[in-house]
Amino acid sequence: MNLTVFLQNVLNGLSIGSIYAIFALGYTLVFSILGIINFAHGAVFTLGAYFTYMLMGNAFGFNGLLANLALPIRLPFVLALFFGSIAAGLVSVLIERLAFCPLRRKKADSLLTVVSSLGVAVVIVNLIQYLVGAEIYTFPPDTYGTLPPAINFGTEANPIPIRSVQVVIFVVSGVIVSLLTYLINATKYGKAMRAVAEDPTTASLLGIDPDRFIVLTFFVSGFLGGLAGTLVGSSVSIAGPYFGIGFGLKGLAVIVLGGLGSIPGAVVGGLTIGLVEAFVPGDYSAYKDAVAFGILFIMLLVRPQGLLGRSLVQKV
Amino acid sequence: MNDFVSTYGFLFVSMILGAMLGLSLYLPLMAGQLSLASPGFYALGGYVAAILSTKVFQVKEPFPIALLLLEMLIAGIICGLLGVIVGVPALRLRGIYLAIATIAFVEILRVLALNLDVTGGAVGIFGIPQPFQSPIEYLWIVLPLLLISMAFVYRLEKIRVGRAFIAIREDELAADSMGINPTYYKALAFTLGAILAGVVGAISAHFLNTWNARQGTFDASIIYLTFVLIGGSRTFLGPVLGGMVFTALPEILRAIADTPGLPVWLAQFLRDGRLIIFGLLIVIGTRFFPQGLVTPQLLKRRSRSQANR
Amino acid sequence: MPQPQLADSISNLDRTPVLEARGLTRRFGGLIAVNNVSFSVNEGEIFGLIGPNGAGKTTLFNLVTGLIHPSNGQMLYQGDEISKLRPHQIAKKGIARTFQNIRLFADLSALENVMIAQHIHTKSGVFTGVLGLPPAPREEQKTRSRAFELLELVGLSDRADEKASNFPYGDQRRLEIARALALEPSVLLLDEPAAGMNPNEKQQLSDFIRQIRQQFNLTILLIEHHVPLVMGLCDRIAVLNFGQLIAIGNPADVKSDQAVIEAYLGTD
Repeated sequence: MNLTVFLQNVLNGLSIGSIYAIFALGYTLVFSILGIINFAHGAVFTLGAYFTYMLMGNAFGFNGLLANLALPIRLPFVLALFFGSIAAGLVSVLIERLAFCPLRRKKADSLLTVVSSLGVAVVIVNLIQYLVGAEIYTFPPDTYGTLPPAINFGTEANPIPIRSVQVVIFVVSGVIVSLLTYLINATKYGKAMRAVAEDPTTASLLGIDPDRFIVLTFFVSGFLGGLAGTLVGSSVSIAGPYFGIGFGLKGLAVIVLGGLGSIPGAVVGGLTIGLVEAFVPGDYSAYKDAVAFGILFIMLLVRPQGLLGRSLVQKV
Repeated sequence: MNDFVSTYGFLFVSMILGAMLGLSLYLPLMAGQLSLASPGFYALGGYVAAILSTKVFQVKEPFPIALLLLEMLIAGIICGLLGVIVGVPALRLRGIYLAIATIAFVEILRVLALNLDVTGGAVGIFGIPQPFQSPIEYLWIVLPLLLISMAFVYRLEKIRVGRAFIAIREDELAADSMGINPTYYKALAFTLGAILAGVVGAISAHFLNTWNARQGTFDASIIYLTFVLIGGSRTFLGPVLGGMVFTALPEILRAIADTPGLPVWLAQFLRDGRLIIFGLLIVIGTRFFPQGLVTPQLLKRRSRSQANR
Repeated sequence: MPQPQLADSISNLDRTPVLEARGLTRRFGGLIAVNNVSFSVNEGEIFGLIGPNGAGKTTLFNLVTGLIHPSNGQMLYQGDEISKLRPHQIAKKGIARTFQNIRLFADLSALENVMIAQHIHTKSGVFTGVLGLPPAPREEQKTRSRAFELLELVGLSDRADEKASNFPYGDQRRLEIARALALEPSVLLLDEPAAGMNPNEKQQLSDFIRQIRQQFNLTILLIEHHVPLVMGLCDRIAVLNFGQLIAIGNPADVKSDQAVIEAYLGTD
């Protein structure tokens, strides 16, 4: 492998890996506060992409209830991305209220809540299909404005071209991860959130309303999910309503690798899986997905708490 | 009558297959293990039958029943062995970790099936030979098999091994302290489920005539899980009834949609939105029927009220 | 000043230790829950374990029964090391226990609870069991009648089919003892068996513990907070404080031990 290909793989890996990271952060935030994996997160990812697509004024196809619908507004990409992700965050809050909250009130088995979130995922995915059909939607080529299609990271003689979309993704992800780290480590919200995650009863004694923070966490989680969905959708395409499910499963690999509930773990896990996938040789690219799940499976057997997770001590 | 049989024969057999897939998930759940591996073993069992019947046996139709039974046996053995290999290490994990590990297992199998030559790649395997003239005749195989599996699980709940499963489900540490080896019994429950899923897969491959990577997916995991959790996770009748009803649900909805006088939008929703309804049922079920619709208490109450009569 | 250690070693000459802890230590992160504890328990003894809350008593029980493993030191049963075994292997060797915070199979009937605990004394597998082939039917019959006997012993046989979680607290403790006895152990560990009982019930329990020792040839270790009960019932007592063994000997000696008075009895 020559240096150019190597560097290209690294940059590609970091780019896709940083989307995995943003997406997985959404998973891990909810896990750290509730100890539950929200399987609807993949569906929210999908929704985010559709929302942005719609807010940019793009039209849907001829299938489904909303056939040929196009919104009368045409937001520029950045604004559509922002509002699309907010809409995804709101959907996530709705999911919390309808599918998580009632079970939490009843102190139901956490596996039951997991199943409930699976149910939500099924509803969302099929609702999308019912409304706008199962076809692939591609963002128009001018989505990213006047950016050149690729940026050369090498020299004239030795070019290392990287798609500018991927550079944008990498930069956006970096900003998001830094913001989130700041939010959690340095603000009142972050401290309260960690208190709720640590022990909801004590937190409520300290005057923190756990419910409010759970709702807020779901919003942030959904926002990140929707954002990741748009980034993937706009750089490749929205591959139908099921587009988020596969991504959601891969997100599982990311958070388990990094350590369930660990925020730096989600970032490390995302970048690791992105890089590993980027280095799967072209001849075996069909096995890319199996690689992530292979890593996941082995990790669970060898070190179930993940790279950066706390060890799982059970109470006797 | 003939019309009825030809219309609904396929559905009846599918319902029974669904009931058995529900049972295959119920078995590990008896020992408290939420495993989503059943679709993986189901797919594997189907590939075993599809490959054997199209590439190895190469006999003319009708495909001999004896060979079908042999395929079921082989599929059961292979899935059982793989169940042990995957189960023993994976079952050290608890709760959600185990569920994730089994999801990974299913995905790995799916990617392999999609890319290997022997499984026919993305296209899959076509023209799997038929042992019967019409779908309804598959009842000769699936009905006895369902009855046997039901009797098996019914008995299992009442004997030493089943009690060990249930003890682990109730409190793994206490069971361990009472001399029950949790790893052994969890792996046993997991493997029994794997064998059943594999055998069902072997029949389904013939029944569906074609087999591909879409047979063992994450979606399928959720659907089988619904059979059990909504049907009932505390008695074997739950997954059996759940499997039957949920397999028939699309047909039921279609039938309702055909009722004259229904608003067009509702009829259309019932026809095309069945999976939305499916998902809603899962959400509602987990909230209002945490042990599923068929519970041991319900059965006890019924038998008591009959005894009083 | 009496010399408990000396008296201890003299009585050891004519009896074999059933259980022996050698320098048993268990750390949880920075905390040392059990710190270099050594003692031995003789066959047929009722051996009390007392100490203030958080002294490491339950941790010690968990170490004996394999729920956790020692960071250092060894646990021996009839001369064999058991510190690396898993709970079910230790149960099989003949050590049974109850739990401080009652861990019955709450959703199952009293009878089923006791039947489950006979697991190691039966051996029918999936196929013999499902098909009802020998030895399954006879085993099943025996398991059931044995479970009834044990429920009778603890006075719960008339409610054998009731769910364990429906029993009042004291009865749950009794049911847990019946379940532990179903293992036919030679050593029985009781973790606060009298917790939540009234004085009358405590006296009955005390008699009952003596009775089962006699009837089943048991060696009994028990953790108990109620000092009079321990003093009246136990042959010997070990006192733990902050994970360390501060005294061991017969009740009278322990009662007058200065360190014990300071650490534990004095605060009562």
